[in-house]
Amino acid sequence: MTLAAFLTLITGALTTAALSFSGIAMGVPLGLVLALVRWLRVPLLSAVVAVYVSLVRATPIVTFALFIFFVLPSFGIELAPVPAAILTLTLNTAAFNCEIWRGALEIFPRDQIEAARAHGMTTPLLFRRIILPQLWRSSIGPLTSEMTILLKGTPAVAVIGVVEITRAASRIGAETYRPLPPFLTAAVIYTLLIVVIVAGQRLVERRIARLYGYAV
Amino acid sequence: MDDQTLPAVSASRICKQFNGIEILRDVSLEVQTSETVCVIGPSGSGKSTFLRCLNWLEVPDSGAVRIGGRPFGVVPLSGGGTRPMSKTELAAARTRISMVFQHFALWPHLTVLGNVVEAPIHVLKRPRAEALEEGRRLLDRVGLGHKADVFPHTLSGGQKQRVAISRALAMRPEVLLFDEPTSALDPEMVGEVLAVIRDLAAEGMTMIVVTHEMGFAREAADRIVFIDGGQIIEVGEPEAFFERPATERARRFIARYMK
Repeated sequence: MTLAAFLTLITGALTTAALSFSGIAMGVPLGLVLALVRWLRVPLLSAVVAVYVSLVRATPIVTFALFIFFVLPSFGIELAPVPAAILTLTLNTAAFNCEIWRGALEIFPRDQIEAARAHGMTTPLLFRRIILPQLWRSSIGPLTSEMTILLKGTPAVAVIGVVEITRAASRIGAETYRPLPPFLTAAVIYTLLIVVIVAGQRLVERRIARLYGYAV
Repeated sequence: MDDQTLPAVSASRICKQFNGIEILRDVSLEVQTSETVCVIGPSGSGKSTFLRCLNWLEVPDSGAVRIGGRPFGVVPLSGGGTRPMSKTELAAARTRISMVFQHFALWPHLTVLGNVVEAPIHVLKRPRAEALEEGRRLLDRVGLGHKADVFPHTLSGGQKQRVAISRALAMRPEVLLFDEPTSALDPEMVGEVLAVIRDLAAEGMTMIVVTHEMGFAREAADRIVFIDGGQIIEVGEPEAFFERPATERARRFIARYMK
């Protein structure tokens, strides 16, 4: 593999990392907002979110990416490949994160909520002071899983012309007729990215334990 | 009439159904300031539901609750009639009446002291230093001053419940509700919790205690309320109630417990 090929792979890796990071950074909080809409049973909106989540869960990321890139322009929304890819990944992961947050909200101990209410807490205060600090504890594992799934789902946006690791690797393989080196490098890079995500999970878990005195 | 002469708690004709099953029928009760009332009765008789109706954790289907003479859960309208309190109004009203739960319901992510000062600081907006000082004092009072900085999961059941009592007292409530405060405890820990409640009774705290501890009810209560089948069957002073129950149902209930 030439230096140029290697640099192509590194550029692809940076693209993958940037797409995943953007998707996670927006998709995790957006998922929480969607989950709250469902949990608070906000009239109408709650049903809209439910349909949205079902649709996203039923649709492959590739299809979703094509929809955003090729169909949205006919509604006057034209996006360049990278923004379209970020939007695709964010909206996709938000739906799954919504279900993770919602699950954690639904199993949150009722008696703690009642105690908060009996002590005069309003819903925003209850959420901010009692629920949210504990919600991380039960959600961080599943959220991390979803982050790794998102990262590994990024090759899907190659279909709208974004060159990420896998796309870069297959190009190099096709040009050099030696697919092993680029794909091996790609595998190593994916592994390193996943290691970073899991390290982030450990960091958050330790911080929760330090703040709130319990092991996760 | 000033507040002194009004009952601390007045519930009139509370009715409550769950899924078409009648839990409470026309339950009325007045509790005077500084009075300790123990509510007893068989499991499933509706006594916990009645208690939870007093602070609107369960919303009664009909009937009215007044705390210190002021309507609870509803707002009187100038043209007569009432409207339900908004969530904010209800939250504010609940600060006047605090509650201790069967399963403690401490917040596990906060330290013991954190549990006690959480609502005073964030709901009542008391100055932090003042709330912390009072919190420590309240913990000292239940014998747990040395546990202020640990997390609840390290405590025994009896200790947790004493923290929960401190947490309720930190609201400086007009009325304190206890929902079977010793039912989830190992037998050897019941005493330490009852001792705290007994002290509060002696100090003139207004309390309604749902309990299965007949010995405690007899000794600490000013009045006994006996509920069965969703209705108040009998109300009386402890001595009279336990020695000479007026109704057959109360007689049978007492006989079963005193065996």
